[in-house]
Amino acid sequence: MALLQIAEPGQSTVPHEHRLAAGIDLGTTNSLIASVQSGKPNTIADQQGRDILPSIVSYQDSSSEQAILVGDEAKALSVSDAKNTITSAKRLIGRSLSDIQSKYPSLPYQFCGDENHPEIVTRQGNINPVQVSAEILKTLNQRAEQALGGELTGVVVTVPAHFDDAQRQSTKDAAKLAGVNVLRLLNEPTAAAVAYGLDSGQEGVIAIFDLGGGTFDISVLRLNKGVFEVLATGGDSALGGDDFDVALVDYLVEQAALTRPLSPSLERQLMQQACLAKESLTYQDTAEVSLALDNAQTWSTSLTTATLNELIASLVKKTLRACRRSLKDASINIEEVIEVVMVGGSTRVPLVRAEVEKFFNKKPLTSIDPDKVVAIGAAIQADILAGNKPESDVLLLDVTPLSLGLETMGGLVEKVIPRNTTIPVAKAQEFTTFKDGQTAMAVHVLQGERELVDDCRSLARFELRGIPAMTAGAAHIRVTFKVDADGLLSVTAMEKSSGVESSIEVKPSFGLDDGKIAQMLKDSMNNAKADIDARMLKEQQVEAARVIESIQAAIVQDKHLLDANEVANIEQVIKSLADISQGESANEIETAIEKLDQATAIFAERRMDSSINKALSGQSVEKL
Amino acid sequence: MRAILDYFQLFNIEQSFNVELSYLSQAYQTLQKSVHPDRFAHASSQEQLLAVQKSAEINDAYQTLKEPIKRAEYLLNLRGVEMPNEQHSFSDTSFLMRQMELREMLDDVKTSNDVDAALAEAQRELSIEHQQHFDLMSAQINENSAASNALACDNLRKLKFYQKLNIEIERIEDSLFDD
Repeated sequence: MALLQIAEPGQSTVPHEHRLAAGIDLGTTNSLIASVQSGKPNTIADQQGRDILPSIVSYQDSSSEQAILVGDEAKALSVSDAKNTITSAKRLIGRSLSDIQSKYPSLPYQFCGDENHPEIVTRQGNINPVQVSAEILKTLNQRAEQALGGELTGVVVTVPAHFDDAQRQSTKDAAKLAGVNVLRLLNEPTAAAVAYGLDSGQEGVIAIFDLGGGTFDISVLRLNKGVFEVLATGGDSALGGDDFDVALVDYLVEQAALTRPLSPSLERQLMQQACLAKESLTYQDTAEVSLALDNAQTWSTSLTTATLNELIASLVKKTLRACRRSLKDASINIEEVIEVVMVGGSTRVPLVRAEVEKFFNKKPLTSIDPDKVVAIGAAIQADILAGNKPESDVLLLDVTPLSLGLETMGGLVEKVIPRNTTIPVAKAQEFTTFKDGQTAMAVHVLQGERELVDDCRSLARFELRGIPAMTAGAAHIRVTFKVDADGLLSVTAMEKSSGVESSIEVKPSFGLDDGKIAQMLKDSMNNAKADIDARMLKEQQVEAARVIESIQAAIVQDKHLLDANEVANIEQVIKSLADISQGESANEIETAIEKLDQATAIFAERRMDSSINKALSGQSVEKL
Repeated sequence: MRAILDYFQLFNIEQSFNVELSYLSQAYQTLQKSVHPDRFAHASSQEQLLAVQKSAEINDAYQTLKEPIKRAEYLLNLRGVEMPNEQHSFSDTSFLMRQMELREMLDDVKTSNDVDAALAEAQRELSIEHQQHFDLMSAQINENSAASNALACDNLRKLKFYQKLNIEIERIEDSLFDD
């Protein structure tokens, strides 16, 4: 007798074709795309054989053949056309104008737009950082589709673990704008851990020290039987190799007795020279710097490793402080850490390596390519999420990097979800009214560790209205915070006695609203209306096929959870969706998908409960 | 349909204050493997939504059972012992006096000549007292009579005072990191 095959819950039982999926490391300085092919994750190179794409976008004359240049072609123009060539857009994404200007005072751009939606003036008009990132994602996506020979089902895009909600949301918006389906936002150090862990087969506690061009993350994880459990993460989303360069630039400006403001191209030249000098100081003791000044003279000097170390010492110290805190948050002693994995180009700096070794009392692992490991890890996760590895045991349990809270009386922050809480998470807190007869309440959502509202990042404000008038302190207002598996927050508020409710997808203060994204999408298409309609129809058809396939697989697997009537009913709704999706109306398909979702709600719930019950039943402690 | 499970049932363990942490952590990972949203990235949006909800519930259950103070509160709650809210007056004046002393001790730490040493000493003192109340509470919870549960509840409230002092200690430590 043939044995029955039983699949993992949520996974299809019918063998299906390999779905194309990829992982994208959207870096401050460089970006990469990788994919799992024939079971092995590899980075994908362009036609010239380059896999690293500099994260630089240059906006040229719209009439020219290549109006938008991305990567090395853009990099070639970064000094001569600094104003129209945007580098390190990741440092600007999801930030306010004043934030950008106080952190990076000498950027060679002209900013416009309002405080919460800064834009850069280019010869192609005003460009926001989300659009710049979208160009990079588009380029990588096209590269992968060409190399893999088909459209991608979806991608996993990595973000610094320490990115706040606005920065994450903006990254997702950029993907949307690029027409890329995001399967998951994945934290960079977690991606690196996956690549490292699966490759080495190590189990135990590891630390990932990830110092990139613009961001720093430290994550402490426990690896156990395919589970990557992040115990704590810390870092600084505005600390990276670029800051080493800035420190060097400031030093050079002082040595050359230059007075700011300098011309955009001289600023860019200084950054490039500083970066080159820093790189050569990783393998030699001195480096020469030579600048073409605006007055056509040349100024040169020689830099030593000792000078560089002195200039960056305080920045390196900052990274170690974050390490100490994360270990403490994870309740892990330094001796328990079996391996420290170095990720990101800036971990090549000798002082960084030496200090990390001293801190962990262990030689950090530098054998895996620090530039590629994040993209590789993202590719592995993308392959799993796309459903290509139903037998996979890999599970990532990640955390929120920063505490989430609400403003209370006196400008104080009440934390609702503390940092390093495992996601997804839903937490509710009750508040009450302050005055007699109060009928509205302002909800101010904040992110950060400090006690005062002014010291935290303001994520959103909304109002709960229509609270029945009661004496002060009598109303019970329940505010619920939910963070999904992408680390994105949504907040709802409800007055319990009356049921008055108000909710918000937290994405307003910074970044773009959906209307603006739709508009930008339209603008980016040549034959706007026809193109966008065709694309929406295609998207809904793909979605319909996906939903039908997953529900049919569920029925095959769990038919016993339904009675004959229920099966007949679901099959009826499936058939109707299948028919409608042959048609031309995206809206009708969408409605039919919703109908099918509703028709299968109870089935989905039963399946979920049954898999929870099954997971632990009949298992003895030893067997687990 | 099954009844709504309490957290102990969810983890397939008996309702008790004594929890085998290594089992708990293994069971947690097993449960997450069956419901985590990553397992449903290709499923219908209905299932994706449910997966987020269930996975969040399991996270909450795990955190509650893992952390002894939360576990105690949850267990007492299941037994029908309601914790009085924070504003509720506290009659044990000698305990309150002691708390004031400890607060003053922490204030002194901040201005001490050797903050690190003073902090370590304060931590040691707090942890001894914390342990005393904790041991009392454990025994009372395990006895599980109406009277002992009420006493456990009292000790649980006291332990929360110590938790607050510990948060204060962490603040002082954090401020040391910032120099």
